[in-house]
Amino acid sequence: MKAWVERPLGRALLPLFVVMVLGGLFHAGGAFFEWQTHRSILREIAVQGILACGATVVIVAGGIDLAVGSVLAVSAVSVALFSMHFGWAAPVALAAVLLIGAGTGALSGVLVALPRLQPFIVTLATMVFARGVAKELSGGQKISSYFQAADGSFVTVPLPPMFTLLDRRVLGDSVSVVTLIFLASALVTFVILERLRVGRYLYAVGGSFEAARLAGVPVRGTLIFAYALSGFFAAVAGVCQAAQETHGDPETGLGYELDAIAMVVLGGTSLAGGRGGIGLTLVGALTLGYLQKVLSLNAFSSEARLMLTGVILVLAVLFQRRLSAEKHA
Amino acid sequence: MGSRHDVVALTPLIELRDVSVAFGTTVALSRVSFDLFAGEVHVVAGENGAGKSTLIRVMAGALNRFEGRLLLDGHEVAFQSPAQATRAGIATIHQELSLVPSLSVEDNLALGMPGRPFALLDRRSTRARARRALERLSLAIDPETPVEDLPLAERQLVEIARALARDARVLVMDEPTSALSEPETVRLVALVRELVRAGTGVVYISHRLNEIEALADRISVLRDGERVLVAARKDLSREALLTAMLGQRPERAVSQEPGPDDAIRLAVSDLSGTRGAFRRLSFSIGAGKIVGIAGAEGSGASHLLRTLGGDLPAASGAVLLDGEAYAPNDPREALSRGVAFLASDRRASVLLNLSVRDNGMLSRRSRGALSLSDVAAERQALEPEAARLRLKAPSLEAPAGSLSGGNQQKVALLRCLTSAPRLLVLDDPARGVDLGAKADLFARLHDAARAGTSVVFHSSDLSELVEHADHVLVLFRGALVATFTRSELDVERLLAPVMGGVA
Repeated sequence: MKAWVERPLGRALLPLFVVMVLGGLFHAGGAFFEWQTHRSILREIAVQGILACGATVVIVAGGIDLAVGSVLAVSAVSVALFSMHFGWAAPVALAAVLLIGAGTGALSGVLVALPRLQPFIVTLATMVFARGVAKELSGGQKISSYFQAADGSFVTVPLPPMFTLLDRRVLGDSVSVVTLIFLASALVTFVILERLRVGRYLYAVGGSFEAARLAGVPVRGTLIFAYALSGFFAAVAGVCQAAQETHGDPETGLGYELDAIAMVVLGGTSLAGGRGGIGLTLVGALTLGYLQKVLSLNAFSSEARLMLTGVILVLAVLFQRRLSAEKHA
Repeated sequence: MGSRHDVVALTPLIELRDVSVAFGTTVALSRVSFDLFAGEVHVVAGENGAGKSTLIRVMAGALNRFEGRLLLDGHEVAFQSPAQATRAGIATIHQELSLVPSLSVEDNLALGMPGRPFALLDRRSTRARARRALERLSLAIDPETPVEDLPLAERQLVEIARALARDARVLVMDEPTSALSEPETVRLVALVRELVRAGTGVVYISHRLNEIEALADRISVLRDGERVLVAARKDLSREALLTAMLGQRPERAVSQEPGPDDAIRLAVSDLSGTRGAFRRLSFSIGAGKIVGIAGAEGSGASHLLRTLGGDLPAASGAVLLDGEAYAPNDPREALSRGVAFLASDRRASVLLNLSVRDNGMLSRRSRGALSLSDVAAERQALEPEAARLRLKAPSLEAPAGSLSGGNQQKVALLRCLTSAPRLLVLDDPARGVDLGAKADLFARLHDAARAGTSVVFHSSDLSELVEHADHVLVLFRGALVATFTRSELDVERLLAPVMGGVA
C-alpha cells in the first residue's frame, strides 16, 4: 500500500484539505458551517466544472482546448434563440445546441488531427471564431424573453420550462440542478476515460502519439472525439449558463476556458498529457471553488481574490510536484 | 593491453567505496566498490536491473542519496547535481541522447561549454571550436546541420564530441552501441580506443560480448545490485563472464525444426521504398518461418520493415499476404490484416504511461472504441502470455514505464502477440535488452513460428540473425546483395556483405 501522498489523488486532496481547514478557522461567524454555503459553492463551480470535464479529456489526450468559453457563449445564445425566439420545443432546441457544440469541437479536432496543427493555435482560432458567431447570432444583444417579433412589435414570451427547471434546486432544496448536471458530466467522463476502450486510446495518444499510431490506435479519430466531447460539454455548460442568467449573452463565458484548465491543473493532471483523470479534476474544481468562497466570506475584495488565486494556484502545483519529486528521488 | 596499468598513476580517477543505494524497499546497489584509472576501459556488465544504471547515476551526480563514498582523484566528493559532475570532468553519455534535436551541431556543442548566459554569442569562435571537436573524432559532419537531421549513430558521436569539448577525463558510456549497426560499432570501438590511448578513463556499459572483449581492460560484473566479479580482461574467459552475468539459468534449446508447412505467407515483388530507401526487392517468407534482414544504417533494412508494417507507404511494387494484395495505409490497417509491427525505438513501441495490461490490449483487433473494457477477461488473456515471455512486472497494472528496458520490450512484443498476427514485423526487437530478456524474447518468437506465425526481423546485432533466422537477407544501400539460409550462416560471412563487400 503506497502512502497516500504518493498517490496523485492524495496529493490533490491536500490543498483542498488546507483550504477546508482555513474555511473552518475563518468561518465568518459560522457561515462556513451552513449547508447553504456549500450548496452555493457547488452551484458556482458547476458551469466551469462541466467545461473542466471536457478539458480533462482533451488534456489527457495531450491537447488543450481554449475555445470552450466561446462555444459556451454560442450555445447560450443559441438555446435562448431557439427556445424563446423561434419557439422550438425543448428537446429539439437542446439537441440542436448540443450538436452545434460537438460540431464546433469536432472542427477543432479535425484541424488538430489531420494537418497536425498545434492545438493551442487551432483552438485559439476556434475561440475567436466562435465568439464572432455568438455575436453574429445575437446581433450583439442579450437574447431574452422580451424581443422584437417579425412583425416589428415587441413581445414578451414566458421563460421556457427548461430554463426554470435548470435553475431550480431539488432534493428538498438542498442541491442545484446545475450541480447535478456537473456531477453527471463528471460521471460520463469517468466512464469514457476509465471504462471504455476509447479511454485507453485517449491516454495512449496523450502519452505518445507516435507509439499509439504504431500500435494501431485510431489516433486521428481519438483526437477528433476528444475535442468533440469538449465542445459537447461546452454546449451543456452554455445551456446551464443561459438558464441561470435567464438569457443568452454573447459576452458570457469570457475566460472560462482558463478556469476549467486551472481546475484540471490544480487537480494534478499534467498538461504534458497521458496522465491524470476526472477524479483529480473534481478535487481541483472543489479546491478552486472553496478557495473563492473562503476568501469572499472573509470579505476579500474581488481584486485581492484574483491575485491570491493566482498565487495559490502556483503554490499548490509546486507543492504537488515537490511531493511527487520526492517519490522519484 | 594489461600492461597499460603498470604505467599509470596509482590513484584512480574515480572510485566508489562500498556504495549502497536503496529505493524504498528495493536495494539497487549493495556495498559496491568500483574504480577507474586513467587510460583504461573498465566495462560494467550485467543484466538489466542488475544495478548498472544506478551505478552510473551515482558517478554522474544524478543520485546523491547513497551510502558509501565517492572519490575523485583520491578526494571525497559529494555531487549535488549532474552539472557539478560535468564540471569535475565526468561526462556521461546516456542511452537517451541529451542533444537538442532542433539545434545545430555547433550550437549543441556550445551548450556544454562554459560562458556567461548574457554574453554575446561569438559565432565564429563557437564554430571553430565545434570544428575542432569534430575533427578530433575525424567526423565529417557539417556543424550547421540540425541534430535532428543526423542519423542516430552520428548523434551519438556528436554527443561524444561534446563530452570531449568539455575536457572530460572520465567518460561514462551507457550502452553506446545499442542503436548502432555493426560498422558503426566498429568505428565507435576504434574511437574509444583512441581516447583511452590519450589518457581518458572510460566506464563502458554493454551487453555485447564481442564489444566487451574488444574493448575492456577490466570487467566488473553486477548481478542483483552486487558486484560479483572484477577481473582483468585477459584473465577472464567468455564462459566465466557469462556465468557471472547470468548466474544459473537453464539452457534454452534452439529449435531447428522446420515450420509446419511450406505455404508462402508474404510474397514481395519489385518493392521499392519512398525516397529510394530500397529498390526493387523481391523475396518471400514462408508460413512459420523466421526471416532476418541484415543491413547497416542507410541500408534500407529498417525502412523495409516500416513499409511492411504499414508505417511508411511503398513507392512501387507489389506485396501479397497469403495470396491477397497487401498495401496498408497505416499500422492500424496492417493490424487488421494480421500484420503486427514493432518499431525499433522503444518510445514508439511501448506507451510508458499506460499499464502493462493496457499496452497488451492496445493492438487487439475487432473491438469497438466505445465498448466496455472487461478487466477480468483482459487479465485472463494476458497472464499466460506474460508468463510465457517471463515478464517481470509487479503486476499487470504496473505502468510500463516502471519496468526495466528488457521487460518494456517484452510488453511491446506482448502487444504484438495479442493481436493474433499472421506476420510479425520486428525492427530490432532485442535492441538494448540484456541477455536473459533477449533469450526470452527469441524463445517466444520461435514458439510463435512453430505455431505458424511468420516473423521478419531486423537486428543491428548480426549474431542475433545468425542464431535465430531461418533465412537472412542482406541489404546494402537499398539493394538486396546476399541471401543466406540457416546452415550457411555465421557472423563473419554476414559481415562482409553488410559492410558492402561481396558475399
